[in-house]
Amino acid sequence: MIRNILALVGGASAGFAVTSAMAAPRDWEWTFQPAATDMMRQITWFQDYTLWFIVPITILVMVLLGYCMFRFSAKRNPVPSQTTHNTLIEVIWTVLPVVVLIAIAIPSFQLLTAQYNPKDAPKLTVKATGNQWNWDYEYETGDKDKLSFNSSILADADRAKLGKENRDEYPRLLTVNHEMVVPVNAMVRVLVTGADVIHSFAMPPFGIKVDAVPGRMNETWFKAEKEGIFYGQCSELCGKDHAFMPIAIRVVSQQQYDNWYKTAKNDLDGANKALMAEVDHNKTKVAAAN
Amino acid sequence: MAGNLDRRAGKGTRLNMAVAGVCAAVCVGMVGLSYAAVPLYRVFCQVTGYGGTTQRAAEGASRVLDRELTVRFDANAPKIPWSFEPAQSETKARIGETREIHYVAQNLSDHVVRGRASFNVTPEFAGAYFYKIQCFCFNDTTLKPGEKIDMPVVFYVDPAIVDAEEARGLQAVTLSYTMFQPPGDKLADAGTKPLEAADEITGDTSITRRD
Amino acid sequence: MAAVQEVHDDHRPHGWVRWVYSTNHKDIGTLYLIFAICAGCIGAFLSIMMRAELMEPGIQIFPGLASMVYGVHGDAALDAGKSMYNMFTSVHALIMIFFMIMPAMIGGFGNWMVPIMIGAPDMAFPRMNNISFWLLVPAFLLLLLSMFMPSAAGAWGPGGGWTLYPPLSTSGQPGPAMDLAILSIHLAGASSILGAINFITTIFNMRAPGMTLHKMPLFPWAVLVTAFLLLLSLPVLAGAITMLLTDRNFGTSFFAPDNGGDPILFQHLFWFFGHPEVYILILPGFGMISQIVSTFSKKPVFGYLGMVYAMVAIGAVGFVVWAHHMYTTGISLDTQRYFVFATMVIAVPTGVKVFSWIATMWGGSIEFRTPMLWAIGFIFLFTVGGVTGVQLANAGLDRSMQDTYYVVAHFHYVLSLGAVFAIFAGWYYWFPKMTGYMYNSFIARLHFWITFIGVNIIFFPMHFLGLAGMPRRYIDYPDAFAGWNRIESYGSYLAGFGVLVFLFGVFEAFAKKRVAGANPWGPGATTLEWQLPSPPPFHQWEQLPRIR
Repeated sequence: MIRNILALVGGASAGFAVTSAMAAPRDWEWTFQPAATDMMRQITWFQDYTLWFIVPITILVMVLLGYCMFRFSAKRNPVPSQTTHNTLIEVIWTVLPVVVLIAIAIPSFQLLTAQYNPKDAPKLTVKATGNQWNWDYEYETGDKDKLSFNSSILADADRAKLGKENRDEYPRLLTVNHEMVVPVNAMVRVLVTGADVIHSFAMPPFGIKVDAVPGRMNETWFKAEKEGIFYGQCSELCGKDHAFMPIAIRVVSQQQYDNWYKTAKNDLDGANKALMAEVDHNKTKVAAAN
Repeated sequence: MAGNLDRRAGKGTRLNMAVAGVCAAVCVGMVGLSYAAVPLYRVFCQVTGYGGTTQRAAEGASRVLDRELTVRFDANAPKIPWSFEPAQSETKARIGETREIHYVAQNLSDHVVRGRASFNVTPEFAGAYFYKIQCFCFNDTTLKPGEKIDMPVVFYVDPAIVDAEEARGLQAVTLSYTMFQPPGDKLADAGTKPLEAADEITGDTSITRRD
Repeated sequence: MAAVQEVHDDHRPHGWVRWVYSTNHKDIGTLYLIFAICAGCIGAFLSIMMRAELMEPGIQIFPGLASMVYGVHGDAALDAGKSMYNMFTSVHALIMIFFMIMPAMIGGFGNWMVPIMIGAPDMAFPRMNNISFWLLVPAFLLLLLSMFMPSAAGAWGPGGGWTLYPPLSTSGQPGPAMDLAILSIHLAGASSILGAINFITTIFNMRAPGMTLHKMPLFPWAVLVTAFLLLLSLPVLAGAITMLLTDRNFGTSFFAPDNGGDPILFQHLFWFFGHPEVYILILPGFGMISQIVSTFSKKPVFGYLGMVYAMVAIGAVGFVVWAHHMYTTGISLDTQRYFVFATMVIAVPTGVKVFSWIATMWGGSIEFRTPMLWAIGFIFLFTVGGVTGVQLANAGLDRSMQDTYYVVAHFHYVLSLGAVFAIFAGWYYWFPKMTGYMYNSFIARLHFWITFIGVNIIFFPMHFLGLAGMPRRYIDYPDAFAGWNRIESYGSYLAGFGVLVFLFGVFEAFAKKRVAGANPWGPGATTLEWQLPSPPPFHQWEQLPRIR
């Protein structure tokens, strides 16, 4: 049943992506956000898989409790048995959980291993540095003059200036002034570190979360399959504005990315505006074609 | 009341003290262990490469493989008035081959600043196979105002890495440094006017050893 | 017997001397319980304020609260309010863990019942017992005081989470608030360590003749295992927070990355304490639930030895799973594999316990008195929290759940709904014994149903929020999360009302003075406390009980 609902949600989101190219949590969401990477699809699959064990186990406990309460109430069963041992049943309820745990552990270890064994070589490396309370992104492309910029939560006053007045696409608390821009279907290596205290770089639709620890570098990767803008939030308590340092990643076509990257080094705001215009233009084209 | 209690507990008193004594000793031992964990953790990291801690070696590897591995270099200097960058963003090295690369640091302030680097490699498991023969991170570095230096790192990747199960999906190893100003120095900076401070310490550019 | 009783009552100290200088395990237990109720009310107040803030997206309550308490206005009040919210989450956790659950279970019920249940006249070290309690009071006052001290610029109170991760708890909050909080934890820890030594000695040396360890009831067993966990884990916390303290004040750099320290080391030390700590919170509850289920099913505990060694196993394995709290900190694949495996192992003895409780009920003659309602509620809710724990154990999945409300839901199901339900089960089970009065069963049942419904409304939707990606410790959230948050807040108010019903029930019982009798629970209540009058004499077991 849960799978069906998930499929429905997934289907809905696919239609959604075309019209608004945005993936953020939605009202009354009660499952994982729709996956935008293969890794997140695997994580979602595994979460569903574990539910097939833990929900029946919980129901079993509930049913057993209910049966005991009904059948062995003092009214129906005035004389209690004095059984305190049954070796067979004790062996069963020790061995059965072991079997269940093994059944969970096998795909679990596969998932974990997959998270540390990307299939392709990274095309792009971006370093994210957590500050109190914003992020620095640095594109490690090997160029002498590196592209790097700060990404902070968008103040309402700046919405108009940056062309982010559509609050469905640019939701409160999630929208930043400068998104990280990456090409679609490209392996992106993310290096994460902290400048002051520990933060955590998280992007739910990509299935990644990695702590930004001062004095050490952590690494993760993703390969986004959908174009659009994706939102995450700092996931380690870092002080006053912990709730106000969102992470936004805009996934675009390789060509759009290349154009953006060329301009962004000199004129970040201009590059972002041009990119947003192009994305919007393509969206209207797709909508018109539909 | 107390007398009554004591009389009743009297027989067991010595035994009680013995049990309590053992418990207290265990407790003190655990506090000791928590402190011992500090050097033990460091040694553990150094020996096993846990958390991406690199290894130290006196000389290069005994064998060199044909297979190449990309080693990437990264630098951070969040709280020190320096520019600090690798001279090259990455290099392809044959596994086992000893390579020398450079980081470039420049003191952008008008006073003497000491730098101390923390470091690790990612993916974390690679720490056990990443050997440094020479590194600026073995010591503190002190730069005069405006001074710019090349800082070498001589390293090799242990050929044993190809046998590691965790290395199957390995694309590249990233060596990362974060340069800090030791907090005591920062206090000293704050206490004196920058230029005077520079004059006072200029003579002492000796490199301080640290583990 | 009654005559003997009166003679001894004459030796009982009266007035404030009886309580302040008390060396009597029952009086100290009572003090602990009163303390836990007071601390629990404060902790609950903090949580209700947080839920009130989270009822709507945006920031509504805390700037005003900050302005009221700290006298700041405008933007400063907004900033202080944000920090104050972080402080509320931190202090709520510290209070509930160190000053509510632990004092209630170990200090309260442990002190009251362990000596009686093993047939001992008192604890092994009555004066140390007194010190244990009176260390806890200044500890609590220090924590309360810390809420009003400056921490970071424009912020007050310790706001680094109960986990106190550096550098946020060192360079991130230089003010005295964090120092006071650390000292508070030190005192609370010292109190618990002394208590643990006392329990271990008492249980090892002072059992009545014939009461072998393998005949000992499960509650003393649970307290014994808990005491060992305390003894082994708390000193590590003490060491770690002492290092924090010296890092903060005396220029050491155990955890300072800018001076060769490693902040991750603190997390290892903290969770080496922190994971056993969660079993410290739940194990005495396991013991109480076993006694209660057995009593009201009128059957001995099913698989007694299995139950004992399941607790021992949970305690032992609990020491080697700590880094499952740290999957996202950058630990290698192999390390994560090990901690996934070790963590899953714990599910086996936990499963044995749940199934053994059900088997104890099976074939019994169950009476649904109030304690039994709470116990059944415990078994069900603890199972829900347990199975989500199995999910979180998987590093690959935890990556998407770490630091979201899924984790908050999980640990509140095992602690707020698990441990707290066990405490209330124990409270209603032993209240007649401790006071001699019977509570009003209707009020007690009302308390149960209101709490059961309330806490489920709070915590079940947190699973949904967690999956949808809402991070924990957030004063404000994206508007999409508003729906579930509003429902949770309603649940919180309902559960808060449940606390009032509880307090009224206590008041009513003392006002009406219905005499409970030595054993209000009938033939199922076989442990030694039911052989004594209610309340028990000031000194019990003048004649040592005979153990069958």
